[in-house]
Amino acid sequence: MSSRKEESKVREKKKTGFSGLWRTICRQKYLILMMLPGLLWFLIFKYCTYAGLGLAFTNYGFKKSVDFVGLRNFIRLFRAPQFWTAFKNTLIISICNIVFYFPFPIIIALLINELRSLRTKRAVQFMIYIPYFFSWVVVGTIFVNILSPSSGVVNQILNAFGFDSIYFMADPKWFRAVLILSYIWRQMGYGAVIYVATLSTVDVQLYEAAAIDGCSKWKQVFYITLPSIKPTIVTMLLLNLSHVLLIFEQIMVMYNASVYSVSDVLQTYTYREGILSGNIAYGTAISLFTGVVSLVLVMGTNWISKHFLEDSIL
Amino acid sequence: MKRKPASNRIRESGARKIFRVFNALFLAAVCIVIIIPIWNVIVTSFAEDKDVMGGVYLLIPKSFTLKNYIRIFNSGYMRGFWNSMFVAVVGTGLAMLITVPLGYALAQKKLIGRKIIMRLISITLVFDAGIMPFYILIKSLGLIDSRWSLIVPFMISTFNLIIVKNFMTSIPESLIEAAKLDGCNDLMTLIRVVIPLSVPILSAVMLFYFVSFWNRYTEAVMFINNSSKYTLQVMLRSLVFQSDGSLGEGNIVYDNMKMAVMVLGMLPVLVIYPFVQRYFVSGLMVGGVKE
Repeated sequence: MSSRKEESKVREKKKTGFSGLWRTICRQKYLILMMLPGLLWFLIFKYCTYAGLGLAFTNYGFKKSVDFVGLRNFIRLFRAPQFWTAFKNTLIISICNIVFYFPFPIIIALLINELRSLRTKRAVQFMIYIPYFFSWVVVGTIFVNILSPSSGVVNQILNAFGFDSIYFMADPKWFRAVLILSYIWRQMGYGAVIYVATLSTVDVQLYEAAAIDGCSKWKQVFYITLPSIKPTIVTMLLLNLSHVLLIFEQIMVMYNASVYSVSDVLQTYTYREGILSGNIAYGTAISLFTGVVSLVLVMGTNWISKHFLEDSIL
Repeated sequence: MKRKPASNRIRESGARKIFRVFNALFLAAVCIVIIIPIWNVIVTSFAEDKDVMGGVYLLIPKSFTLKNYIRIFNSGYMRGFWNSMFVAVVGTGLAMLITVPLGYALAQKKLIGRKIIMRLISITLVFDAGIMPFYILIKSLGLIDSRWSLIVPFMISTFNLIIVKNFMTSIPESLIEAAKLDGCNDLMTLIRVVIPLSVPILSAVMLFYFVSFWNRYTEAVMFINNSSKYTLQVMLRSLVFQSDGSLGEGNIVYDNMKMAVMVLGMLPVLVIYPFVQRYFVSGLMVGGVKE
């Protein structure tokens, strides 16, 4: 690795100056041509949307003229009680997702890793991965079926034990739990398979050495396994955090009027205000706010993991 | 060295055995929790009306009929199916056509400006501008109400791109150099050497793309207003959650019909997945996102 770095340094030194740069471009013309469509796509569909966030400071939407209005949209935003409800719901659902969902795939992966037969390992991975391929519409429907007050299997079990049926999909007390559980049901296999893939790269000799030194299985998990998959855990955590506030599709599919109070999140609020009501600049202000909070979350976690775990993805 | 571990192993093996039994039971329970709802969907979709009327959670098939499927094949839901198919097939094709060359180029260590391009790309992995700027962009590109609005904006997933790039970085440079010595340019090297070596990872990425195109719901709701262009997921949502009555008699749609549409909505993925599954473990190494 280090020799390669030195090599590239030498190469960089060689091509200083404009003519050298031009020669490199000529030599790499095919590579550059191959990159071009992709880079153009990133420019349009990613970086243009970043630029579009600037509309949050204008009155774009109803009028033909677009004027700069400073922070007016944000002042309106911070005064809107609906926004605070949405923000609060987003935070509660996000925190529950991170706390309840995030450790789950790690635990499952560790358990799968303890299975002895390769075939069983494969079979379990195969099965738990399936729900990840279902759309939220399909997963939502499956949960409607399971939780249905009349025919759902959960309520039938409750009834058998003498409890009343619970309207899970319509009860504000239960709806968030349904969101978290369906999230775990769909995503757990995806995370687990990633961790299993990483676990398969851990050097078996480490375990053998530890066993010879009299290290118990528990200690092996804490001192060998977890440290070896730490980079993956950090990466997954950061990827999760960057999208946790953007929870949208699941809620769009599953919520209904009776649970708006507990499930209206920033994205659904943006959708209603910005797209359905046509108040584009205001909607963009909410998007910008969401984006900035996400970014702070990711950067903060990245900073923490860089300083305390010596690992970061950015 | 021999004495202690021996006694250790005997003492531990009792606890290990119990652990292994519990572990197997737990994982079996997890699998059951995943399989049962899917099984219920399939069984219900083949059931007669009389078996689903009372509100039962079918696990053991009581009847077998293709009637539900025949009715769906002659209904408007097939148009949704073909719309989804178009989006998914064309989308996956174009996505691979753009992602693979970009991934290959970024995997070449000598590439000019590689570091800065990688950095700009990894930013998009963690920062998303949200739906409003995205909506404005689609609108100003004139893509509203066009099927292309569900294809073009999703032609690259940064995550898939990085998976491809990481895999191609691991291909020995000597192979690429050898191809170059044989007079291949980069494009020929990619087609003749790199792609054949990357079949496992490319199949996994292809499946990911297909699934993401096939399952997309929110954007279809946001961008498509013309009901003749609705995708299957949009129609399925309105069937289940808003009780669209077009499939039933007297506006009542029984669960068996709903579940048959559900099966239609999961079908392509369930058909492809078993073939691609074996490539997954090699393909899913995260990490190495940073450069």
